Amino acid sequence: MKAKTKILFSSIILGSTAIVLVYSFVGCRQSLTSIDHAKISTELSHQQQNVSEEKSSLGIRQTLVKSDEVKYVEELKKPEFTGTPLALAPTPPVDQQDVKHYRKPEDRDVSSLSAVRGPVLGDKPLVTDGTTFGFDVTEFNEAVTYGWEGQVSDTYGGGMSGGYGGGGMTGGMGGMGGYGGGQQPTSVSLGNRRSAGKALYYDARPMRGPDRQIPVELLNVSADEIWVIAKAETQAVPVDEDTPGSGAMLAKLPKEEKEIPMPLKHTDVKGQISGYIATVDVTQQFHNPYDEKIEAVYVFPLPQNAAINEFIMTIGERRIRGIIRERKEAEQIYQQAKRQGHVASLLTQERPNIFTQKVANIEPSKQIDVNIKYFNTLAYVDGWYEFVFPMVVGPRFNPPGFTDGVGAIARGKAGISGQKTEVQYLKPGERSGHDISLAVDIDAGVAIEEVVCTSHVVTNNSSSHNKRTVKLSSLDSIPNKDFVLRYKVAGKTVKSALVTHRDERGGFFTLMLYPPENLSYIKRAPMEMIFVLDCSGSMSGKPIAKAKQAITRALKKLQPDDTFQVIRFSNNASQLGPNPLPATPENIRRGLEYVESLSGSGGTMMIEGIKAALDFAHDPQRFRLVSFMTDGYIGNETEILAAIHQRLGASRIFSFGVGSSVNRYLLDRMAKLGKGAVAYIGLDESAGKVVEKFYDRISHPALTDVEIDWGNMQVTDMYPSRIPDLFVGRPVIITGRFKANSSTTIHVKGKVGDMTQDIAIAADLGDLAITHSGIACVWARKKIETLGSRATYDTNPDLPGEIKQVALEYGLMSAYTAFIAVDSSHKTSGDHGVTVAVPVPVPDGVRYETTVQQN
Amino acid sequence: MNKITSIFLTSVCVIVPVLANQDYSTARPGVRFAPLHIYLDSGNRSLAAYQFELKATAGQIKIVGVEGGQHQAFKEAPYYDPSALAQDRIIIAAFRTGGNLPKGRTQIATIHLQIIGDAEPEYELKLAVAGDADGKEIPAEIAFEKGE
Repeated sequence: MKAKTKILFSSIILGSTAIVLVYSFVGCRQSLTSIDHAKISTELSHQQQNVSEEKSSLGIRQTLVKSDEVKYVEELKKPEFTGTPLALAPTPPVDQQDVKHYRKPEDRDVSSLSAVRGPVLGDKPLVTDGTTFGFDVTEFNEAVTYGWEGQVSDTYGGGMSGGYGGGGMTGGMGGMGGYGGGQQPTSVSLGNRRSAGKALYYDARPMRGPDRQIPVELLNVSADEIWVIAKAETQAVPVDEDTPGSGAMLAKLPKEEKEIPMPLKHTDVKGQISGYIATVDVTQQFHNPYDEKIEAVYVFPLPQNAAINEFIMTIGERRIRGIIRERKEAEQIYQQAKRQGHVASLLTQERPNIFTQKVANIEPSKQIDVNIKYFNTLAYVDGWYEFVFPMVVGPRFNPPGFTDGVGAIARGKAGISGQKTEVQYLKPGERSGHDISLAVDIDAGVAIEEVVCTSHVVTNNSSSHNKRTVKLSSLDSIPNKDFVLRYKVAGKTVKSALVTHRDERGGFFTLMLYPPENLSYIKRAPMEMIFVLDCSGSMSGKPIAKAKQAITRALKKLQPDDTFQVIRFSNNASQLGPNPLPATPENIRRGLEYVESLSGSGGTMMIEGIKAALDFAHDPQRFRLVSFMTDGYIGNETEILAAIHQRLGASRIFSFGVGSSVNRYLLDRMAKLGKGAVAYIGLDESAGKVVEKFYDRISHPALTDVEIDWGNMQVTDMYPSRIPDLFVGRPVIITGRFKANSSTTIHVKGKVGDMTQDIAIAADLGDLAITHSGIACVWARKKIETLGSRATYDTNPDLPGEIKQVALEYGLMSAYTAFIAVDSSHKTSGDHGVTVAVPVPVPDGVRYETTVQQN
Repeated sequence: MNKITSIFLTSVCVIVPVLANQDYSTARPGVRFAPLHIYLDSGNRSLAAYQFELKATAGQIKIVGVEGGQHQAFKEAPYYDPSALAQDRIIIAAFRTGGNLPKGRTQIATIHLQIIGDAEPEYELKLAVAGDADGKEIPAEIAFEKGE
């Protein structure tokens, strides 16, 4: 009896314990997934990364379509374009495919434009050092350029002398290392006074849209919880497209009478070009159209060589300068500030040309602006300087098993790609209210002969012969393609130019080194031309049509001693024949037919194309030239670059970026690692002309075995450390540090054919030197790029630390550093709200159906 | 033995729910955010430029933002030296060459801080230089006020 009682008593206790333990466990789970995220340890500060990794173990859904299963049908008609031939260009198109098409504003759907255009900056006062002025938004009163301006000429040349110091750059206090120009000083000496640094800020009054009610199921649910839910569902997260998680500024869809809220309202870009260095201010205006707090997340592109050294968060009239910190540390600070209700913003780098902006605790109807400032050097090709501002990240393909990529997913489908970074895309026909304004001030120092923008409709004003202001027309303010502006300066002989900067850290310089002007007398060696065409789904339509035009033109330019091969790749690679074919008329005809038969579909297994192009025996009698024609929409850039480094051998890689918004980081790095060059073919450009000039230039290196005698400059830390061959019309920018402070002469020696050539460059390092405060940042950015490039194939564990050290010392963004800004003086009430991703349009000419993961 | 088992099981029943509901963060050092307002008194001289250095002599802080002051002349977010930041200090500087310069006691900047741990931090604030519109050094006193 007694024993039975004991057993009964023990059973009751054990049962009760089990119930309580289960209850406790459930309670713990509820606690962890509810509002108080301060309880969650730092693992959750990296929630996105961790969850992505967990998801990857559950299996990644990649849509792999065999390339020959889908027939490509050329689109010959597009409603918003008209077939107006070149009215302004003097050079007639060679074939019908090269005919330029110009946008006509009257052909646009004006009603839809008015629905999507957000408020422009022009109705807000802009203050510069106390002077208030407004923006002229009546751009129709100005001359609107729809295409090439002035004469298009094959001649190249220009001028680089003079005109640097000050033009476009802000001055500073004597000895202060360029305050206001973006340099961050370490000392102040009160000496002579220069012009004030440009202090730009504007009245950021909150723009309150109609109240939007967050769906009940998302109230009091944090972003962390959304991730947990998404993980459980993995591949099929039912997200209402009206939810905050989907994003889109209040804009009516053309076919649906419903509004979609979006937290990114407007992007304003202001560029100042002085010589070959651009200083660019980018302001992103986030606002909250809901009646609950949100966190906005926006994945966006910047130029791959941008040296980002300034980050400011604006709340009303208050401006808080962000601090550069180690990335993990910045992410932790951001998470903690977010959980405690502080307005905070975080800028991280996913790729050298892809960044993520997060803004936490945006209260209903409030606006938070984020200002990013960067320097970059401009490309110079055949007499034209080129300023590029990318506007949208193209949809990337990630190979199966890869999780560190950039997923391209449909709006509201967060988490389905299994990638560390995701970009959400709008469906065809959907338009967000996010628009962009852009203005570029050019101070060339010498007369500007022509200004051309083939990508957008622009207005172009001239205040003097060597200055221009170019503005993006409000008719063309949808950010779905790269803004590409080219200008040609006067003069037939372009001289190499040295620009310096000196502060308490020492001297910094950049040297734009130009090759000799005309080397057409050098006999070209027989070539082994390998054309590698990206036939993936993202190339489908206009991009592959352009690429095929380019190869067709290049095949027709081959000489009898040359050989050639055509390789296509998508999910796999195949080629015209087992070996390169002699360039006989019959073989060229076969090649043309093969190229014509290719179409775009399937994935982008670029590694297959790399292997096919580089893994066969080289003909030592010929100069092997491998041309990649691609949009570069892949997420595994590192793998591709490492493969190129390993397999290059005697080949040289010349990459062609084809499309409206290509992955310039990949294309540039492929060309650099491949000791070649890069060119870009926009959808509104003549592929034939670009290719013809390109091959004409690169068929014989201009200056080889280049060595530089720096005189008494005492140069150190030079990048690139080994000077590449210089091709005609394509200068190389060299940056480094120096100690000397007296003038000297630099001698550049190299071989032109069998002859040795010596180019002398005067280097004025004294008071009259051409200076630019951004040079130190440009140098540091170049060092980071070089170390990062090495890290793709070098397993040295010290490389990340070296990159981080340089980035922190110079206050620059990198893969290992991030900008963080927190408003500690104010705490918003309540939970930190729902995370809202900013969806973007697919780039112009890219098909949503073949590139964006929807399930 | 039975008593011990009962006591153990009862303790588990009581402690587990308590632990489960306890604030996880209390087991870790507390983290909070607070501003530090910086004032400069230039007497009857107009202030056109300054540079100062701040570091914590006690407690653990991280600087998470730099904001300008209240006076229009120094409203813009001042610059900091990133290389100094790596050594757990911050050097901040600003200048203004236009008119309407402040005199007397002026708030020139706000430093946004993350304070780690329960210890109240102590700060060392040094004015490197203050100057007038002619570029001449002027006498000035610098001070801070803790914000909430």
